[in-house]
Amino acid sequence: MVDAVEQRYQERLKRYVTAMRKGKPDRIPIRPFAAEFTAVYAGYTIQEVTHDYQKAFDAVIRCATDFDWDAVVPNMVYVWTGLVQAINLRYYAVPGTDLPPDVCFQYLEPPEENAWMRPDEYDALIEDPTGFLYNVWLPRVSRDVVPPGQPNTFRNNMSFVLGGMAMMDYFMALGRQIERLRRETGTVSAISGILKAPFDILADKLRGYKGLCMDLYRQPDKVLKACEALAPHLLHVAKSGADPAKNVPIGLWMHRGCIPFLSPQQFERFYWPTLKWIIESLWADGHQVLFYAEGEWNPNLKYIAQLPDLSIIYHVDRGDIFEVHRTVGHKFCISGGIPNDLLAFGTPQDVKEYCKKVIDGVARDGGYIMDASAIMQNDTKPENVKAMTEFTREYGVY
Amino acid sequence: MTTQPEKTNPSSMDKLGVSIRPPGTCIPWEEKRRELGEIKGDEELVKRIWENIDALGYTYIWQVLLSF
Repeated sequence: MVDAVEQRYQERLKRYVTAMRKGKPDRIPIRPFAAEFTAVYAGYTIQEVTHDYQKAFDAVIRCATDFDWDAVVPNMVYVWTGLVQAINLRYYAVPGTDLPPDVCFQYLEPPEENAWMRPDEYDALIEDPTGFLYNVWLPRVSRDVVPPGQPNTFRNNMSFVLGGMAMMDYFMALGRQIERLRRETGTVSAISGILKAPFDILADKLRGYKGLCMDLYRQPDKVLKACEALAPHLLHVAKSGADPAKNVPIGLWMHRGCIPFLSPQQFERFYWPTLKWIIESLWADGHQVLFYAEGEWNPNLKYIAQLPDLSIIYHVDRGDIFEVHRTVGHKFCISGGIPNDLLAFGTPQDVKEYCKKVIDGVARDGGYIMDASAIMQNDTKPENVKAMTEFTREYGVY
Repeated sequence: MTTQPEKTNPSSMDKLGVSIRPPGTCIPWEEKRRELGEIKGDEELVKRIWENIDALGYTYIWQVLLSF
């Protein structure tokens, strides 16, 4: 016999999946990407939810219970900084250590001359990406890891033990959190697995944005080949974390492909071919991708429209959601589009009016998931999240 | 619930960056096998367990790159 919580889970899963396949469920699913907002709501500091993943999990459970959402990310506070300190990574500023305890973690990009990958190292990356990451990249991004050929240290050895054990610990805990969401609150885990565009990996973690921009002019063929060399690995990682049941999508977090970071011409040449290949390959295996279009992506919609029908859920941040709907709404489910500044500085009435506008404009025929534009951080007002949730539950019935 | 997707044709994207260490691999079995000399028991078992363990090393570095 199925208990009430499991029944609720199954109803929500059906609602969420139906919308993602561009169907019309009983009502619009609500799936907020609630990050540090969960700390504000549950009474924790940012340091607590970033550094103590159990508190982050508890905060998500609390939000899922109180708001009665259909799906959530088990922990949308993107980085567990316990692991950052286990490996002694240089590229994060950690709340409570490097930053005040109520400030969200920050990504630190080194000066161009100290980029994690130097401009003359493309060939090494292209020939052997995994070897390059272990032998060159990791010793640069970790304060403890020693490069091959240098005298070994205790801290070097400990970095691998602590890092490996901590990662295992965290991923196993994430599995338990997904089960807990289902069992305690009947909430669906919104995504499974991770994907990033090859170009974003080059920009974010290897060459840095400025260095990569110079490379686009000085050694464009190397950039293209590096994207091609990374692509099969990023595809493999995405597949290995994907939902075996093929219900929930793989999260794709995009950063540097949009205006003003790349022109549409640069996007077409450098960013798009390898990412398109990965998404098509995943869809050929039946996996959808949550296409988190952070920033303004509408100038690239004509390329995104090349993807197979249903292969992505197009998440709208700063783009005009109504144009997105006109251009690709016949192909893909759309999510998001409720501005974060409205959720931070508007009133509940403002939020309700905006939600009505979005629902009327893009959700009448199904294929829409309610969410904020970008992840909800600690500036989001709980009363506005409540307004978004309650209005959608009442007005978003089909 | 899933619509049947069409198969994608292979492209040049699966040729670069995979010859030394293919996806999912840090120390390929062929390299490990040379160290082991004669295997008196079930070689397939040794190979399978090695590849499973080796994949953890692959997961580690790529997850550090992508998720942390």
